[in-house]
Amino acid sequence: MNYLYHLYIEFLSKYGISELFGNITFYIIPFCIVAIALLIVVLVLVLAERKLLGWLTQRKGPNRVGFWGLLQTIADAFKLLIKENITPVKADKFLYNLAPILVFIPVMTIVGIIPYSSEFTFVDTSTNVILYLILAAFPVLSIFMAGWASNNKYSLIGSARAIAQILSYEVPMAFVVLSVIVLAGSMNLKEIILSQSLTHGALDWFCIPCILGFVIMFICTLAELNRCPFDLPEAESELICGYNTEYSGMRFALFYLSEYALLFVSSIFLSIMFLGGYLSPFGFYISHLIFGDTLFANILIYFEQVFWLISKASIIIFLIIWIRATLPRLASFDLLKFSWAYLLPISIFNLLLVVIFKFTTGGTTCFLS
Amino acid sequence: MTITATTLKLNLGPQHPSTHGVLRLILELDGEKILSCEPDVGYLHRGMEKMAENMTYIQYLPTVDRIDYLAGCFYSELLCRTVEKALGIELSLRVKAIRVALLELNRISSHLLWIGAFLMDLGAVSPFFYTMRERELILRYFEKLTGQRMMYNYFIFGGVRKDIEHIDDIEEIIKILPEKLDDYEKIITNNPIFLSRTKGKGIIEPHIAINNAITGVNLRASGVNYDVRSNDYLYKNFEFSPVVINEKDAWARYKARILEIKESIKLIKQALEILKKEQSLNQNLINPLTIKLPDGEYYHEIEAPRGMASIYIKSTGLDKPYRLKWRTGSYYSVNFLRSLLVGEYLNDAIAIFGSLDVILPEVDK
Amino acid sequence: MNTDELQKFINECKLDGNKICVEKNLHETLDFLLNNYSFDMLKSITCIDLSNGQFELIYNLYSTENEEDAVISIKITHEAESIADLFESAKADENEIYDMFGIKFIGNENLKRLYMPEDWDGYPLRKDYIQDDTRLAWNDNNSNNA
Repeated sequence: MNYLYHLYIEFLSKYGISELFGNITFYIIPFCIVAIALLIVVLVLVLAERKLLGWLTQRKGPNRVGFWGLLQTIADAFKLLIKENITPVKADKFLYNLAPILVFIPVMTIVGIIPYSSEFTFVDTSTNVILYLILAAFPVLSIFMAGWASNNKYSLIGSARAIAQILSYEVPMAFVVLSVIVLAGSMNLKEIILSQSLTHGALDWFCIPCILGFVIMFICTLAELNRCPFDLPEAESELICGYNTEYSGMRFALFYLSEYALLFVSSIFLSIMFLGGYLSPFGFYISHLIFGDTLFANILIYFEQVFWLISKASIIIFLIIWIRATLPRLASFDLLKFSWAYLLPISIFNLLLVVIFKFTTGGTTCFLS
Repeated sequence: MTITATTLKLNLGPQHPSTHGVLRLILELDGEKILSCEPDVGYLHRGMEKMAENMTYIQYLPTVDRIDYLAGCFYSELLCRTVEKALGIELSLRVKAIRVALLELNRISSHLLWIGAFLMDLGAVSPFFYTMRERELILRYFEKLTGQRMMYNYFIFGGVRKDIEHIDDIEEIIKILPEKLDDYEKIITNNPIFLSRTKGKGIIEPHIAINNAITGVNLRASGVNYDVRSNDYLYKNFEFSPVVINEKDAWARYKARILEIKESIKLIKQALEILKKEQSLNQNLINPLTIKLPDGEYYHEIEAPRGMASIYIKSTGLDKPYRLKWRTGSYYSVNFLRSLLVGEYLNDAIAIFGSLDVILPEVDK
Repeated sequence: MNTDELQKFINECKLDGNKICVEKNLHETLDFLLNNYSFDMLKSITCIDLSNGQFELIYNLYSTENEEDAVISIKITHEAESIADLFESAKADENEIYDMFGIKFIGNENLKRLYMPEDWDGYPLRKDYIQDDTRLAWNDNNSNNA
């Protein structure tokens, strides 16, 4: 970020604006941009999911509003905006209104800690990974609030399921994250990415020594996102809509948006942990290949890095949607059993494997070197 | 059962996505475990039996398709056959073949919808669209032939309203269906999640099923060979073996329906052969306005997709029935839920309820 | 009655077509048929209002073992023996008959309104049922109110 920062300060000082102003605005502007970009990404994601599900089930998907249905989600969001916000009479009004607001905060915070390219992180703490784990589990609190405050039995059962699910899937997830930390030797997301950047491109990624962990992490992410086949908290055929049965209008939209925002950031996190984050899969950057070692290429690299990150995340998102179109829902007991009886032992075994791998290869993470 | 403060009373329906606004199950839950289940029906009651007492037979005929809107043919067939029996009308071979072909097509479309809806209840979205796609072919054909997609009103006392047309469409359907069935089986039958949701869930022991008057596929999936088609007058010229599976669980009921579709395809093939050989329709149509059943009682039963369906007519020699009673398979399945769901968990309960293939207009009549 | 007496009782019953008309001992007869001739499925119970204060109940039995049908009929006035302890499915049928004909089945505790609303007066499938309920759409009172 330093490089861009100096450019920005120089740009301001040309017009005689103080450095203090630059200090403050430099971090706020991109954050706002990313926050707005996230909302747009969510809108695109919703459309993408509906289109993909349409194709996977031999339908056309939305194709009426706008060209090729592009404006469908905007129309839906507008419809949700103008709908009435209904609060059940016997609901706990404070918690009922607070839950949809709270659900968005952790997601937006995660946006701030993700390294989008080598110079593009807002908050770069030394323990980003732990922060992510905490924040990603945070929405379950508002799910519980929503379920409890709605005073609806379906909501209550849904939120109870959500809590049981998060509790059981956080544990194997933490073990997998631990094994990645062992491999990288750091808890900083950027350093985790950089420790995957040896010279062999995709072969250096952690998904190769830690393939078990990658699969487990993928499954746990599905569970944490309440996505199919782990969508029990909002199982339509059993619990109507689960924890957000009673919500309508904008409050429902907030739950809906946060779900997709979390889907996006989780897949980005997955690609950072296992797929080399913003690194190019070839071991070199295409901008360098085309433009050589020029200033233009150096700036272009940042965008290329964002491109790689988003494409890796898109592949994971596609997988998640594909799974939704294919698999039925798990039963709630099988769900818990699956985590405690299979995922947890395997994740511990995976940690063991990773540690052995780390020692036998003498500290390097790539098996080729 | 004493209700303590720790149990939760849950109204499953009528405003619930898997009960379509027409069934209410009053569940008593301990956590997610069901302690008792009380079905509340009647949301679709149209007084079919009372209606019959005030209508002549031809007036009543179009309404009977509505008893089961997914398999309307079967109820027309029941009413037509009973009247034919009472008046001593024999059907020609071609009419029989037409009826068999249409009944079996209707059965296939009903089972296809069930497969989709059942998987939907389990949380899988895609199979619903796949089965609807194939069902659409059948509905299109029915629309071409009868002008209606669901309430065909095609059978009439003594025959059919008009000769069958577009036989090559049926040939096309039965050519496509086996491949598509294999496709469903690829993504459903051996799916580990599907197996874990259905294997060993909702086991119905044969003697319990018999005692609860469960009939049709549900009974055959429990290993009891009881298929009314075996000695039905319509199926006399057809080779047919009932599908009997011994697994007794929800998976068996799914598998039995898949196999039953295959069996139906065989029956349609035989019917088409007869249709090609017998070109003359030879209907013994009677003037429907003058139908008066002789004094007496008439009973007929048929293998509908949701269990054995029967009709009972008592006539006093007038043009309207004195009493008409329908027996439908779903009604007994719904009442069986009382004992079947106890001790199951809520998300299994939906799967088990779905596996019984209940349709509510048939329950409420 | 013991088995022989029951057999004799059934043999002496009047036959109407293929219908065995018993006059009493319905429960014992069905019990006998269930245990001795394995008529284990009760397909349906049909009730008919005979317009003379009497009702006819027709029991369609089926034996899955021997693949045979049996039809038992009994004429009653307003009350009948419940056979819900023999056949689970009879609960459903008896409830429906209670709802539509108002016949009390002694021994069946769970009789309640099924299709009709809980506070509905009268039993619709009876021949003397007068359709003057104000809630019915075609009723004059109702159209005046509207």
